[in-house]
Amino acid sequence: MQEIRLDFQRDRLANGLKILTLEDHSHPIVSYQVHFATGSRNERPGITGISHLFEHMMFRGSKELGPEEFARIIQANGGTLNAFTTVDNTTYFENLPADKLELAIRLEAERLENLRLTQENLDTEREVVRSERKLRVVNSPFGLLIEQLFAIAFDQHPYQWPVIGWDHDLRRLTLDDCLEYYRRGYAPNNAVVVVIGDFRTEEALTLIEKYYGHLKPQAPIDAVPAQEKPQRGERRSIYKKVSQLEAFFAGFHVPGIRDPEIFPLLVLSHILSQGRSSRFYLRFVKTGKAVEAKVEAEPPPFWPMDPGLLQVYAIAAPGVKIGELEKEIWDAIDEIKEGEFEEAELAKAKRGLEASFVMGLQSIFFKGLAGGLYEIKAGDWGMVNKLLKGYEGVTKEDVQRVAQKYLSEDNRTVVTLKPISPQENELLGPME
Amino acid sequence: MFPLQPKDIKKIRLSNGLTIMGLEYHKLPLAHITLMIKRGAERDPEGKEGLADLTAEMLTLGTEHRDSQRLALEMEKLGARYSASSGWDASFLEALGLSEDFKALTELLGDMLLRPIFAQHEMKQSQQRRISRLIQQRDQAEVIADEMIVQYLLTGTPYAHPTYGTISSLQEMREEDPKSFYLRHYCPKDTVVLAIGDLNFEEVREHIKGLLGEWKSEGASNDPLPTPVRPHGRRIIVVNRPDLTQSQIRLGSLGIERRDDRYIPFKVMNYIFGGGGFSSRLMQRVRAEKGYTYGITSSFKASHIAGPFVISTFTPTANTISVIEEILKLMEEFANGGIKTQELEEAKNYFIGSFPLKLETPGQMAREILELELYDIPFDYLSRYQEAVKGVTLEEINNLARSYLHPEDLIIVVVGRAEDFLEPLRNWGEVELIEYSEVTRVPPPSTPPNTHLPPGGHTVSPSPGGVLE
Repeated sequence: MQEIRLDFQRDRLANGLKILTLEDHSHPIVSYQVHFATGSRNERPGITGISHLFEHMMFRGSKELGPEEFARIIQANGGTLNAFTTVDNTTYFENLPADKLELAIRLEAERLENLRLTQENLDTEREVVRSERKLRVVNSPFGLLIEQLFAIAFDQHPYQWPVIGWDHDLRRLTLDDCLEYYRRGYAPNNAVVVVIGDFRTEEALTLIEKYYGHLKPQAPIDAVPAQEKPQRGERRSIYKKVSQLEAFFAGFHVPGIRDPEIFPLLVLSHILSQGRSSRFYLRFVKTGKAVEAKVEAEPPPFWPMDPGLLQVYAIAAPGVKIGELEKEIWDAIDEIKEGEFEEAELAKAKRGLEASFVMGLQSIFFKGLAGGLYEIKAGDWGMVNKLLKGYEGVTKEDVQRVAQKYLSEDNRTVVTLKPISPQENELLGPME
Repeated sequence: MFPLQPKDIKKIRLSNGLTIMGLEYHKLPLAHITLMIKRGAERDPEGKEGLADLTAEMLTLGTEHRDSQRLALEMEKLGARYSASSGWDASFLEALGLSEDFKALTELLGDMLLRPIFAQHEMKQSQQRRISRLIQQRDQAEVIADEMIVQYLLTGTPYAHPTYGTISSLQEMREEDPKSFYLRHYCPKDTVVLAIGDLNFEEVREHIKGLLGEWKSEGASNDPLPTPVRPHGRRIIVVNRPDLTQSQIRLGSLGIERRDDRYIPFKVMNYIFGGGGFSSRLMQRVRAEKGYTYGITSSFKASHIAGPFVISTFTPTANTISVIEEILKLMEEFANGGIKTQELEEAKNYFIGSFPLKLETPGQMAREILELELYDIPFDYLSRYQEAVKGVTLEEINNLARSYLHPEDLIIVVVGRAEDFLEPLRNWGEVELIEYSEVTRVPPPSTPPNTHLPPGGHTVSPSPGGVLE
């Protein structure tokens, strides 16, 4: 694999705003991204979901703009835009024709400074988010199971609640909660701006200074003190809902993004379940035992900042007993622990992960995310250039070792879906 | 690289009729290769819906030289991703990998295309996997709603079924079906190979010619496609799923064909009405003002025939009636009141400005180029696109709105907890109520899968207006 590097330039305004820039003049577009180092890990019980709800509020108007006008103006200038909230960060972005960069900088700075938070806007957006929660979680086949998995696996760390928040918190969040969250999290010294694409660095830096330079820094937001203690024994639970099929979702505690152990863990996940030549696919999916059987591991920059969960899940095919399928899956993982896999599988996984990273670089948007999210989560965008080497260095012993260390029964939490009839569902009470 | 000029897209035709196209892209060491066969799920025989898609997968499940596992392994050890599927009007065999592996990748794709063996055990497994997936999919209310509205809108055409088929049509598949579909529809004169990447076109051409130049197959002639009929009057279908806390709602009619001269104005019209995110009227009213939903959109599918033109949304059960009411009102206002000059200008600026964003990656370029090739639209579409958008007039949009947005002539589908909205819904027209248990019912196979039947011995007639199978 040839050497591929992303050479961001890193600057910082006097108020603490970090800026990453990377010119790429091959296509007449530019991506402008504002990443805030605040997500659901910075919440507390009572205000869960505020990071994401607040993300919505950022589109509801400012001193200059009416509700949703931000989006309308960007689109009317040929741009696309959106935002997303994760456990670790809240990110806003505009992908635009190259000559519209200043517009994005100006509007992003304006809403950061002059957001108009009103009770009316909050009430409307609260309902929008509750509808989103129903879509993504409550009425989706497995959303509530995955929520339960995290709620059981973590009892200290904020990863125990969902990014979208508990419904009872969404109902009670107040305007004051929002104002406080805004003040703490949306400060220039808590953000990383990324500019990537067809622009001139000097001009962009001048514009960013012009629009953001006068903003005042705030006291840094509180560190997240909670650390999950090592799990001492398997945790299990059952979730009943109307469903065609049985399924289970499991999670194993694994380290955060800064830890080099994530590379052998990603290789392990790849060997087990990535592609049609993987072990899980050939053994469970192809043969018709499972509709799906996967190890879910998000490669960096999406891997979580703090120790999170490596998820393993399977949806049983009709007539297949979930207990038996689950046991076979643990047996397949035990084989890795015992070193029963080939060097060729290791090489294939490494090549797959490397190629996948290169494929991501096709879009400037993704390249920008890679730099920005690494800067937010690890304090160092430069880690993006160590990814390929990280994969390259993984040995068979590493894979075996992380399988033994992390994929143990004691470190495991399992939630099993038990299908029930609509009548029984009714008796169990409302879901929200 | 931008704007894409027709001359940048190299194209030649071999003596056996096969078309080779190439576009050089040197930003990254990648190669994106697509084999497009200009026949898709619309060629599924009646009662065997999903056969085109199953056939495409069968190409990846064993050739004369490699079994399915070896094919997967050889692709994936290169770090490549590959897929095979059928959509409307075409089937695709695709791979994305590193450009240094171009020859190996095309050799594998060529092997799949020319020498599939359609092994019985692979066919059985695939059939079973597909049925299981569809059973699982029954838990997704949005999928039921999407399938249902298309089924009602396109009744009587070969586009009324999901491209992946139905549980009962998959049960009806016989061992010989994929092979006979392949022999009937896969032929060089209807096949296009497109390679985009860090490649040299001369080499691409010579290599592909070496692999596929000797392919001989005539393929059967295509039956003409029927013209779908736009709905007259309102028809309301409710799927009762009492465990849902939110309703999935679809309102639809038909749009236009892909080759229609009004394609670009139609896109602009759709953007203003419901396709343009927060810039659209639907989103502005139903989400931003009313807070009824997280998302509402309108979209249209233009193919060889005029496909569905559908408004899609979801809302907590209690808002179901209010949301439909707002949508009908918005249709009325849009069709009768016309649009504002500012809306038109903003929509045009969006399409003009965002055009380069849609042509950034090889995959995006491939999609655009293949769509033009499939519908026989000259490549200068790409270089003239922005001018064409600029030329769209207010009058064109208003005419389209009047012709295509009729609140009185609609299919309406709601999947949700019926008792909470059924009665008021009847005010808008006759309601057909379908119990969820009917939708999820897995019909017993009429004969065990893969047993041979005499020709014509067994077909399942589609059930237009009936229950999803």
